Amino acid sequence: MKKVTVQDQSTLEKAKCHAAAIGVAMKESIYPLTATVQYPRQRKKMPDNFRGYILFDPEKCINCWECAFICPANAIRMKEAPNKKYYPTVDYGKCIFCHFCIDSCSGGALRTTKIHDVAYKDMDDMVTLTEEMIEPPEIIREDKTLVEYQIDKKDLQIKKTREVDYLFVDEVPPSVEIPMVSQCIDGASCIGCHVCEQVCESGAISSAIANGVMRMKIDTDTCTGCGLCVKECSMQILKLVRK
Amino acid sequence: MATETESEWEIKVPDKPLKDKVYFENLKSVVIDTEMCSRCLTCAAVCPGGITVVNNKVDFPDYETKCFDCGACVRVCPRFKYEPKSGLGDYIEFTAGRSKRFAGQDGAMVTELLVSAIEMGMIDRALFAGRDEKWATEMFHVRDSEQLAITTLGGTKYTFADVLPELKKAVKFTKSGVGIVGTPCIVSGVRKLQQEYPIFREKVKLVVGLFCTENFHYDEISSFLKAKGVDFSKLVKTDIIKGKFISTMTDGKVKFKVTEAEDIVASGCNVCTDFTALESDASCGSVGSANGFSTVVVRTEAAKKVIAFIRAKGYADFDEGDPAQLGFLIGHKQKRAENIKK
Repeated sequence: MKKVTVQDQSTLEKAKCHAAAIGVAMKESIYPLTATVQYPRQRKKMPDNFRGYILFDPEKCINCWECAFICPANAIRMKEAPNKKYYPTVDYGKCIFCHFCIDSCSGGALRTTKIHDVAYKDMDDMVTLTEEMIEPPEIIREDKTLVEYQIDKKDLQIKKTREVDYLFVDEVPPSVEIPMVSQCIDGASCIGCHVCEQVCESGAISSAIANGVMRMKIDTDTCTGCGLCVKECSMQILKLVRK
Repeated sequence: MATETESEWEIKVPDKPLKDKVYFENLKSVVIDTEMCSRCLTCAAVCPGGITVVNNKVDFPDYETKCFDCGACVRVCPRFKYEPKSGLGDYIEFTAGRSKRFAGQDGAMVTELLVSAIEMGMIDRALFAGRDEKWATEMFHVRDSEQLAITTLGGTKYTFADVLPELKKAVKFTKSGVGIVGTPCIVSGVRKLQQEYPIFREKVKLVVGLFCTENFHYDEISSFLKAKGVDFSKLVKTDIIKGKFISTMTDGKVKFKVTEAEDIVASGCNVCTDFTALESDASCGSVGSANGFSTVVVRTEAAKKVIAFIRAKGYADFDEGDPAQLGFLIGHKQKRAENIKK
């Protein structure tokens, strides 16, 4: 067994070690080395694509229901609005903040914010109605300091600045936008139900009957490539292709 | 599926006997209200609106507002311009078989044909009509022979099954092809779908028909059998042999003449003359072969390939079939041609 012995130190060396320890303690009391944020007085800086509270713009909604279909947590329910259109409502009791809804929204009606601190009194309040999604919720801001984490090669650095973060994201355009257009892949299997024509928001699909034959036409210039007709086609014969 | 895309295409617009009415109303007046409807549900398979079954009849609630007036239902309805078919039809081979792998009504050759087709790679899914404990039919997508451990998939159910609405889903998901099994009316419906819409022509590869004299609506036959003393929880098998309806239960049998159930035969069956599913790839049934064997009438090259595959693998025993035995029932159904005129 190895014996542990006290090192022989001179009085001067002992005094040096004590002085160093006192120095560290003094420094910590003035500038503490903490990695945590003292919420709500301080707030962490969130990136622009942070997945937070979802906002909705009814003007841009094309009623494709894609958000409700794609939601893996089944948090989105479509509710009928007075103008006979269906708009999404989000149940934050179920939402997992994956933001698939925002990614799938072809009209750009849904967008993210940096708001992540919304409190509810009970479960029923967590079902956020469409009206509540148009405007951001009321938040009492107590934060004065913005905390930013920066990782350099050596260590995590914390930068604290005395300013208030802006919580809303001015629309982030998709990184790559591929112009798409709806096309028919099997015209002979079309049953001629006009569903595509009825759902098209941009009026790109038209039909005309002449001599017992109906001609369907997709105007490639006006088609926005939203994919609503592709989803609604009962025979699944429409397809989005590159313009 | 065609790979080229188009931005303009043409659609046939079918004729309307009632000019001012929507197509569903035309279908209703020609087929449903005249009791010609066979409840094959071909219309429901293509309808983008909501053709469904209400009180054992094909119906479309709120068709005035919800019908798209596309004419798909009258294009595919086998009874809208009814051309009754009868007899045994053309065939390549008339044989009888007994599967070594599966259990069914007789020789389980329907199951064998479809599963062999999956194993050959001809199709990647087959639609089977299964049943629940109360003998109501439900559809199954079979993609592997192991799924046939569900024993209720084989065996005859004397009630309608919603095969064709399910076929549309199957066509959507399939990669190589779909196989289905159905009564002669369902087979005619599939052929009509294939004739009108190429998507079905490409995807439906194997259609097995069943010998069929008549069919019953579920609620009617179930209350009829209950009155006869059949306990559904113990029921193992239902069968019609030599004009007798035999319900085999775990503790005995209930027998009665089929003619007793004449009143509850579905109305569409009264105008059906097709006993052997003439338009199928292969027809199967118990009549025309020895006990424990299924008669197989091979009609097309597709079915011939599957039978050759079964022979090569030795999955089934084969026996001689006797086409003459079918004569009585074919004649019995031919007589119904008179009902069409009425």
